[in-house]
Amino acid sequence: MKAALNSGLLRRLGRQYFLFSLLLLIIGVVVNASLQANFFKPIALVGLLRTYLPLVLLAAGQTIVIIGGGIDLSVGSIVSMVNVILVTRMGAEATQSQVLTAVALGLLAGTLAGALNGACIAFLRFQPLVTTFATSSIFAGIAVWVLPRPGGSVPEFFMQPYRSAPLGITFPLWVILGVALVWWYLRSTRFGRYLYATGGDAYAAYMSAVPVEWIRFFSYVASGLMAALSGLLLTMSIGTGSALIGLDMTMPSIVSVVLGGTALSGGGGGVIGTILGVFILAIIRNIISFANVPSWWQTLVNGLAVMLILAGPGIWALIRGRREA
Amino acid sequence: MNEVSLSAQHLVKHYGGVVALADGNLEVNPGEVMTLVGANGSGKSTLGKIVTGVVAPDGGRLLLNDREVIFRTPHAARELGIVAVYQELSLVPRMTIAENIWLGHEWERAGGILRHAEMRQRTQELLALFEGTTHNHLDPDMPISALSPGEKQIVEILKALSWQPSVLFLDEATASLDSRQVNRLFDLIQDWKRQGMAIVFISHRLDEIYRIADRVTVLRNGRTVAAAPINELSKQELINLMIEGGVATRTNGKHLEVSTAEEILRVESLSTTTLRAINLVLRRGELVGLGGLQGQGQAELLLALFGAIPYSGQIYLYGRPVVLRRPQDAMRHQIAYVPGERNTAGLLPIQSILDNLLLPSWKHYGFPLRIRQAQADAMAIASGLKLVMANLDQPINTLSGGNAQKVVLGKWLLRRPQILLLDDPTKGVDVGTKSEFYKILSDLRAEGTSILFYSTDDEELLGLCDRVLVLHDGKITAELSGERLVHSELVAAAMGSST
Repeated sequence: MKAALNSGLLRRLGRQYFLFSLLLLIIGVVVNASLQANFFKPIALVGLLRTYLPLVLLAAGQTIVIIGGGIDLSVGSIVSMVNVILVTRMGAEATQSQVLTAVALGLLAGTLAGALNGACIAFLRFQPLVTTFATSSIFAGIAVWVLPRPGGSVPEFFMQPYRSAPLGITFPLWVILGVALVWWYLRSTRFGRYLYATGGDAYAAYMSAVPVEWIRFFSYVASGLMAALSGLLLTMSIGTGSALIGLDMTMPSIVSVVLGGTALSGGGGGVIGTILGVFILAIIRNIISFANVPSWWQTLVNGLAVMLILAGPGIWALIRGRREA
Repeated sequence: MNEVSLSAQHLVKHYGGVVALADGNLEVNPGEVMTLVGANGSGKSTLGKIVTGVVAPDGGRLLLNDREVIFRTPHAARELGIVAVYQELSLVPRMTIAENIWLGHEWERAGGILRHAEMRQRTQELLALFEGTTHNHLDPDMPISALSPGEKQIVEILKALSWQPSVLFLDEATASLDSRQVNRLFDLIQDWKRQGMAIVFISHRLDEIYRIADRVTVLRNGRTVAAAPINELSKQELINLMIEGGVATRTNGKHLEVSTAEEILRVESLSTTTLRAINLVLRRGELVGLGGLQGQGQAELLLALFGAIPYSGQIYLYGRPVVLRRPQDAMRHQIAYVPGERNTAGLLPIQSILDNLLLPSWKHYGFPLRIRQAQADAMAIASGLKLVMANLDQPINTLSGGNAQKVVLGKWLLRRPQILLLDDPTKGVDVGTKSEFYKILSDLRAEGTSILFYSTDDEELLGLCDRVLVLHDGKITAELSGERLVHSELVAAAMGSST
């Protein structure tokens, strides 16, 4: 009975798109634990979660766009834009209502940025890659205009929740749980089905009465909003502003999506895999820093991990095919 | 069920300067099966697309229960109960059977969450309609990509059914079904008829038409020429209605001596996923046509001979067996292939004429390239083809369709092919260019090139070819030559009829 249950569960797991990501993450954790004595100590794990939480949200938004058959190169610049808006609107002495206004403004800015991307790509039929590359310069420009020189600060009570642990569970885990729940909800609605259909075969989706253009539009709006939330969390985490802060986050967001088993061709994958993908990336960086090797190894290992994930299902099919033959 | 009668009156549709439909009429009533027949290019798919809202007509009107309606999208037609099972499948490969069937009209509960279990249950009921006719047991959670073409077609039919149609369009829906599945579908159609559904059945199989139809509408050259109860027309009368009275004029003299010329290509029991045991012989300087309705395996046959798709069976060149695994193998044996989709497979649109002409031949020009020699050769080909151009550096996308097609042909002529495989080369080409094209083909055969020529234009096959092999469902059903090479024989063979 128990064995049957186990094998059923295993078979279900075996069908998941993120199987290889999970295996890679486990291998990464084992390697990391052997190099870093205190890896499983709460302080190390919580530190890791806090560092990578903004990337989780950013990559989750990126996943939605990629499933819908697009790509968003502007997410990093949206993070920068939201960060400088929050910092310049607050200052260290801000009252609660000023903070709330700033947060609302930041989230609105991110959503509007996503809507601009979405409108150009869905309704004007611009190329996603080129469009979001261009708008990323625009958003980065706005960020520099708002805050030309890094600096500024935020009130203490604004940063406090980021280090809290409600019910004994650290704040980042709550957020990740929230992201996973929202994703589960989206997947269970019409929007989820339409998103996969649009990315899988836009013509077939159109023939099935799917509002393909609106789905594309909303995928970018969602990505913009997630980037704004990511910027919000980043600001809560570091408490200061810089117009360049999100610059290095765009590529990791895309790499995390791929590491999580979502194909860049669209129509497959999901956010759960992407969350795993972010932590694979985190573990790789951690291992590199603990293995005392030059940091350029990080790029190499990142690249190898991406190739492994891409080749994984193919190798699996090859092994399986040979066994059957 | 909502009983709906549909009437299309005097529909007109132009694509650019080409008239796809000049006067299309179609009427279907509840509880009846109307079939729509016509030769290639008669406008039957255009008519079907207008009635199901896929394309907008340029003229004419549509009546639903005597009220005029206008469909802007397929969805608008579906809302009124007119649902089509499309030939080009409208399924998303990565999604499951259940997800595809309910795509666009999912059942929701409060909060927008989908009623997954109920949809799955209903999917199971739908799949049960075809239970026992499929190789694998179909489960609602299977991804579409794991299904065979026939199983996909079944899902497509069930998807249309899930919209609870009043008028159901089946456009070549039986093409990829096996006989068991067709029988089941026909049983179901009888049930649906009794429930008051109106069914429009488009098929290229005459036998099926006579089995299932109540009435038949015949299209010819974009006009509805007849609509009558099926039992008032014999197969021969139906075929005569589909073709024009006039006899095609031959543009090439007959080469009776050809039949004794040296055998260049012999194909024995060649099979692919669509082709079944093809045998053929091509002699030196011969022009052999491939006919039949579209998509009966003609394109696959040419691709297999070019080594572009896997095949089983034996191919002999000059009496020696050869294996063609890749296009390079075929090219080494001086086989050239001119693809049908010239814009995607035949040309690099933003590159120059020179680059396009020389792409397959650069390796004959050394390293570094002897560019002047290349230009001279390209110029010779271009003038031989009477290419209308400013100079060789002009990009392809500034050329007309006919001229672009000449470039596709020209790039292979540089390699002096012994066997030329042509996939519908005159599609969308103007009349003047067509006749120049025919002249080029006769010059080539005079030089000893053997040509295998697939065309959807029956007149062209009749006028140009020494022999025509007619394909139907992946098999050669007739070889027409001499006195039998006439339009009525061609159409009869294309419809899979032995009359």
